[in-house]
Amino acid sequence: MFDLSRRQFLKLSGATAATVAVVELGFNPNEAKAQANEYKIARASTTPTICPYCSVGCGILVHVNEEKNDVLYTEGDPDHPINKGSLCSKGTSIRQLYTSDRRVEKPLYRAPGSSEWVEKDWDWTLNKIAEKIKKTRDESFVERENGITVNRTEAIASLGGAALENEECYLIAKFMRGLGATFIEHQARI
Amino acid sequence: MTTKYAKLVDTTRCNGCRACMVACKNWNDLPVDPEEFKGSYQSHDKCGANTWNMLTFTEHVAEGNRFEWLFRHTACFHCTDAACVKVCPADAMHFTEFGTVNTNYDKCIGCGYCVQNCPFGIVELETHTDENGTEYELAQKCVMCVDRLREGDQPACVEICHMDALIYGEKADMEALAEERLAEIKERFPNANIYNPVGVEGTQTFYLLAEPPSVYGLPENPRVPLSATVWKDYAQPLGKAMLGVTTMAVIGGYISNKLFNKDDHGADEGEESNE
Repeated sequence: MFDLSRRQFLKLSGATAATVAVVELGFNPNEAKAQANEYKIARASTTPTICPYCSVGCGILVHVNEEKNDVLYTEGDPDHPINKGSLCSKGTSIRQLYTSDRRVEKPLYRAPGSSEWVEKDWDWTLNKIAEKIKKTRDESFVERENGITVNRTEAIASLGGAALENEECYLIAKFMRGLGATFIEHQARI
Repeated sequence: MTTKYAKLVDTTRCNGCRACMVACKNWNDLPVDPEEFKGSYQSHDKCGANTWNMLTFTEHVAEGNRFEWLFRHTACFHCTDAACVKVCPADAMHFTEFGTVNTNYDKCIGCGYCVQNCPFGIVELETHTDENGTEYELAQKCVMCVDRLREGDQPACVEICHMDALIYGEKADMEALAEERLAEIKERFPNANIYNPVGVEGTQTFYLLAEPPSVYGLPENPRVPLSATVWKDYAQPLGKAMLGVTTMAVIGGYISNKLFNKDDHGADEGEESNE
């Protein structure tokens, strides 16, 4: 075993006791380590948007990590006159509209009489909608009623959503009037 | 003494929308905690490792057969005399510069003392798995979004609240505001009170309650558990002092031995030692 003299033994005991004492009495090497709690959105790019859910139209800031194409955080826009930074629980969850794995990313089509949804591309979908609008308008267009020119269709209606801006609403209204639609409505009237 | 900051929860303003819960999960990237429907609008029984704040929905019949549906945003109270900080053997639970209580995950050893000693049952352990597949536990709870506070932001739950039921600011200002609000609502809620328990020297999440704390399931006078106080404030310092005394005795013994007993005891061995 160790060949310790009395003196060496005492020195060793003293050193051990001193070390233990220093450690136990509060010196902690971890203390010096800075706590790296990085601010999550420090390097994010921020885009203002409007909440798509209800008709109040709250302003939302979307913080995006552009490299990873990921939404890091969404919050109420403090500069927005409607909500001044606050949001409801549904608006707060808007981040999941993008990040959820259950998000629908392609147009789905269910043919009349079918019980199956089929994935379609956007070209096909937009053409299909255009075809249907044209067909419906041609079939239902009324040019004259009681001797008065009316040029309208009562078979098409338009319902605007809360995510639409003023300018988009203007264009939609113009387009619908062009088609002859008279039932033009917007969710913000509820 | 640094300035303390606090979150005032005005339960009489809360409309139970739960935006604070969603905002908390959103900012802190916490996973879902799915729960079964239990016959109430309340989503969770209590705060947990992944649900740092939640709303309790209490159905209460007040005086005059008047029905009140009481909402309370509940999260870590950030006690001034925090039991979790007191009992933590790894110094993981600590006070921040805002007077709030935070966990340092690098230091946390998952012992669970904080879970056992929290007077409000807030802290919970969560099991994580590292890259080698080894499981380890961490104590998790509301951190009052300390990373946001350091950037000058408000906590996520406060920022999102559209009823101003959650307000964050200097503790003194919040206490004054709470008194002001209490005077305003006293007529409608005669039992209204401010819940800022003195047993833990006040909390940094404190409440304006419409009814007595017991109605909300809160302890009337929460305290740091006696066992924690005895162990940490008396037994352990005494133990450390004893260690110091022992060390001094060893050193003293060594010196006295060297000075006075050299000829009697140390001589024969001393000559052979090769220092």
